[in-house]
Amino acid sequence: MNSIIFNLLIGLGIGSLYAALGAGLVVSYKGSGVVNFAHGAMAMYGMFTFDTAWNRGELFLPWCDFLPTHTVNLPVRITLDSDGSWPMIPSLILALGMSVLIGLAAHFLVFRPLRNAAPLGKVVASVGFTLYLQGVALINFGNSFPQPKSIVPDEPLKNFLGLGKAFPQNTVWVVGFTVLLGAVLWGIYRFTRFGLATRAAAGNEKGAILLGYSPQRLAALNWVLASVTATLAAIIVGPIQGTITPIGLTALIVPALAAALIGGLRSIPIAVAGGLALGAVQTLLDLKKSSWFTGPLTWLQDGVRNVIPLIVIIVVLVLRGKSLPIRGTVEEKRLPLAPMPKRQIEHTLFWITGLTVFAFIFENAGPLTIFAGSIQTGLVFAIIMLSIVLLTGYVGQISLAQMSFAGMAAFFMARMMADGIGRGSNLVPVTGPGLPWPIAAILGVAAAVIVGLLLGLPAVRIRGVQLAVVTIAFAISLQSLYLENDELTQLRAGVPAYVKEPNLFGLSIGARSDRQLNERPAFVIFGAVLLALCAIAVANIRRTGVGRRFLAVRANERAASAAGINVSRTKLLAFGLSAAIAGIGGVMLGFKQVEVSSANFVYGLSLSLLAFAYLGGITSINGALFGGAVFAGSVVPTFSNYFLKGTNMDRYLTVLGGFFMIVTAIVHPEGAARFFQGGMGYAGNWLVSVIPGARTLRDAREGPRRKVVNAILAVLLFGFALWIYNAQFIDSNTVWVIVSLLIFWALAVIAAVILGGIAPTFGEAGRGWVGWFTKFGPAALVGYVAGWIVWPIRVDDYSKLWMPLLGAGIALFVRSLYRQIRYGRPDMHAPTPEAANDVPVTAEVG
Amino acid sequence: MALLESRGLTVSYGGLHANDQVDIDITEGKLVGLIGPNGAGKTTFIDAITGFTPLSAGTVTFDGVDLEGKSPDERAHLGLTRTFQSLELFEDLTVRDNLMAAAEKARWNSFITDILMPGRGERAYQQQVDEALDALDLAEHADRLPSDMSHGQRKLIGVARALAARPKLVLLDEPAAGLDTQESQKLGFKLREFLSSGMSLFLIDHDMGLVLNVCDYIYVLDFGRIIAHGTPAEVRKDPTVIAAYLGESAGEAQASAGTALNTATEEQS
Ligand SMILES: Nc1ncnc2c1ncn2[C@@H]1O[C@H](COP(=O)(O)OP(=O)(O)OP(=O)(O)O)[C@@H](O)[C@H]1O
Ligand SMILES: [Mg+2]
Repeated sequence: MNSIIFNLLIGLGIGSLYAALGAGLVVSYKGSGVVNFAHGAMAMYGMFTFDTAWNRGELFLPWCDFLPTHTVNLPVRITLDSDGSWPMIPSLILALGMSVLIGLAAHFLVFRPLRNAAPLGKVVASVGFTLYLQGVALINFGNSFPQPKSIVPDEPLKNFLGLGKAFPQNTVWVVGFTVLLGAVLWGIYRFTRFGLATRAAAGNEKGAILLGYSPQRLAALNWVLASVTATLAAIIVGPIQGTITPIGLTALIVPALAAALIGGLRSIPIAVAGGLALGAVQTLLDLKKSSWFTGPLTWLQDGVRNVIPLIVIIVVLVLRGKSLPIRGTVEEKRLPLAPMPKRQIEHTLFWITGLTVFAFIFENAGPLTIFAGSIQTGLVFAIIMLSIVLLTGYVGQISLAQMSFAGMAAFFMARMMADGIGRGSNLVPVTGPGLPWPIAAILGVAAAVIVGLLLGLPAVRIRGVQLAVVTIAFAISLQSLYLENDELTQLRAGVPAYVKEPNLFGLSIGARSDRQLNERPAFVIFGAVLLALCAIAVANIRRTGVGRRFLAVRANERAASAAGINVSRTKLLAFGLSAAIAGIGGVMLGFKQVEVSSANFVYGLSLSLLAFAYLGGITSINGALFGGAVFAGSVVPTFSNYFLKGTNMDRYLTVLGGFFMIVTAIVHPEGAARFFQGGMGYAGNWLVSVIPGARTLRDAREGPRRKVVNAILAVLLFGFALWIYNAQFIDSNTVWVIVSLLIFWALAVIAAVILGGIAPTFGEAGRGWVGWFTKFGPAALVGYVAGWIVWPIRVDDYSKLWMPLLGAGIALFVRSLYRQIRYGRPDMHAPTPEAANDVPVTAEVG
Repeated sequence: MALLESRGLTVSYGGLHANDQVDIDITEGKLVGLIGPNGAGKTTFIDAITGFTPLSAGTVTFDGVDLEGKSPDERAHLGLTRTFQSLELFEDLTVRDNLMAAAEKARWNSFITDILMPGRGERAYQQQVDEALDALDLAEHADRLPSDMSHGQRKLIGVARALAARPKLVLLDEPAAGLDTQESQKLGFKLREFLSSGMSLFLIDHDMGLVLNVCDYIYVLDFGRIIAHGTPAEVRKDPTVIAAYLGESAGEAQASAGTALNTATEEQS
């Protein structure tokens, strides 16, 4: 008994961290109605600021040296003391100042512009903010950061409370601090005018105005308060947690959210108590697991600790979901429209061929071989992003667990393939049925579907941001219950699972060549075909009854059930289908990696995936393809890394991704794909009118001969592929030129037929271009020139290229911001005068 | 036996009895009206019948089936559909797709057909959707988004969506609110036409001209209780009804409803 009490008491230490962060989450929710996924990241930045100042005498501003120009040289690193350390108190004040800055930035740059956005937009923006802070911290502080010193005394207390054991003194201090923090916050909201106004504003913004506060200023103050408490908590309580990394601190968001939810996102004392209890129970389970979970429960030993927050979150939300406060005046905006996919098969044919061609070009292409690998990566992530388009784009269910579905599929497949022989870097044999790859892959996808349906169950009752919270807790649970659970995977000490090479009729379709490089075209074709099938499936869903039911549920659950749609079953179906597609992606990732470890599927990747899918356009198939192409390790980063030598784009990818995600959420929720489609459409129209033969073929395609035209297009495309592949074998120059011309003509025709809409006349097409350029051209040009002027930077050549491009991008962004402020957003969903309808109009009668 | 029968139907929100011992019969093939001042509990009655709010007491039978424990979508499949006072259209779907979503009966495996053979599953429903579109003159707008359309048209989309599934009984919650007199009359004609095609209708509206003209039978609700019922001619003369509308008139709307009733009464007699 004594030992149980002792363990519970020790657990209060980690519990204080959950409690203090949870209290901060309640603060930002009170202030702005945002469930802030970036809370842990904000705490993290403040804490590392304190630590670098104190122990290294340096200050890093919350951005990175991405704009290293001569003229505009952003300072990033400031030396406070050349001796390498700074006194503690000034460091603390500095860190708190930093947290004030970050809190203000969160309000003014991120959440204030989004105050009327759909919940998904806010989730994406806070994920974007997390990625941004995390990326900046990794660049500025590094991940192998020396462990910060604790500022509270930590000599053990002997025979604590007569329990007969030594007890860590710092636990006593941090619990005391947390309780004090909770009490102070509680007092602020209970007794001060500011607190009263905040509570009034949470119910009805007019209330705050009556008390003489502007709601937006109140929100800003609350953000600062949240940020400062987060930083304080991380500095004082953080070191108790053991190893601290930027990513590790960010991950604390899940238990902190559990604590905040226990407090109903409203009560700080209950949130603090909940957080403390959560930590105590977790630690107790941790210390007792080997005696409590034995026999058939042994497999629970590793994961049970992380399952506790999930259980708490689900229970709280299901029991009191309805009673959670929702802010009064904020009208909920809808997600962007889901465009009807057009000419999907043709599009698909086109890019399958394109990818195949590139796969052959980059096979064994010296330093260019990395592109072959990047295409493989892009394919895999595009598939997983399609699963997000289906679930989040069409049905509006925010899921932060897509990577977990993928991981489930990959790991289960690997296990089904295992046959008791040690392979790869795992020399310890993993037992298993040793099934052939197609069966193992199908079983893997089936396992993902089962897990998806399981996660769908809470979604029946829980909606919006709250569902996002459940999914992230679920992702972490699945990770420690299955992927990292060597009881189940038999992978000791984190060795990766081995995936056997797939083959078709004796031909290998694996990703790796004999040189152990990801370069085999066969795998690209395999992946492209799977991606195409998934894309066509999603397109068919959008076009038919299932898709209508999905969108109906997304638009209005009440009306959907009145129209005879079973909302619960529809959501479950969406989760199942989405998990299946994510599972296919996971299986492909397994084949690509050959060895997969749980790190390939961490929950953080799910966040990035959602964010990049949103960046591309969460409601469209093209958005998923775009997202896949720009994701880490995929085509665009690899390409820019290679051609803009030394940019180290990978290094900045998280920062840039986070930044652009926030921008997308604010300025262009339809995503980037829509933006480019406009330009592509003009290009297509133009091609139709200028390329001989294109119009004929295009018109024929609209008629009954559609299939014939498609066949012709396919033949032309494969001709092109063969030509590229065999170009080196053609000796005669004349033949070569003629064939090339023919091939390029064919390619232009194909592009025209696929992209071109209503065939314009030559003049109309020209005017289209002119219109497009006059719309975007001037701003882009000004930005480009500005970038060029700012260019001459520290020695490197690459910025000559990208500074103007960046300038053009920023100029376009500023243009759209300006137009938004000046003219209001060109909103596709202008609110309808529904409110007015409720007033019965009787006057006209008689 | 009537198509729909409510017996002792009571709905309480906290202490408030929004519906108190309401007995209403809707006879097959008839248009039954429900009127009452604002806040009388009319919408609550529809919510209770269609499963959107739980009953505190009483029973509802539809077509011989006890509706207790059935979810809204199950009731819709039994042939009981409704419109909403606040429209609640699927704003992201075109007008036709709004109707299709309501018309299609999904089976557990429909998604497989839809993915593998797109278009195969929906053919069966095209015709009834076209009929509903034609019936409300929406055919030419079928491919537009509801958010691009006028208020009157949006009202009609709501009605068309409820009709698209070829239900046995449609409950209409203030379909004429916000329509001008002419539109409202036109709607009245349409409603009578639907009756002749074998459907039954239940109509809530504040437009007395409409209700008194088109209904076969009328119930009057006040403070959650049925205070009168009968044919339009009977209800029009009922002193309690006139009192309810003119008497404790709390708001402007109520007063004007009363005026409307009076005017309508005078016109008729
Ligand atoms: N969900 C609810 N919770 C609490 N009270 C409710 C709820 N819905 C309705 N009420 C109350 O029940 C009463 C009846 O409301 P109801 O909407 O049914 O009136 P109505 O006759 O449709 O009025 P109107 O003509 O304005 O549409 C009102 O006093 C209303 O405030
Ligand atoms: Mg009503």
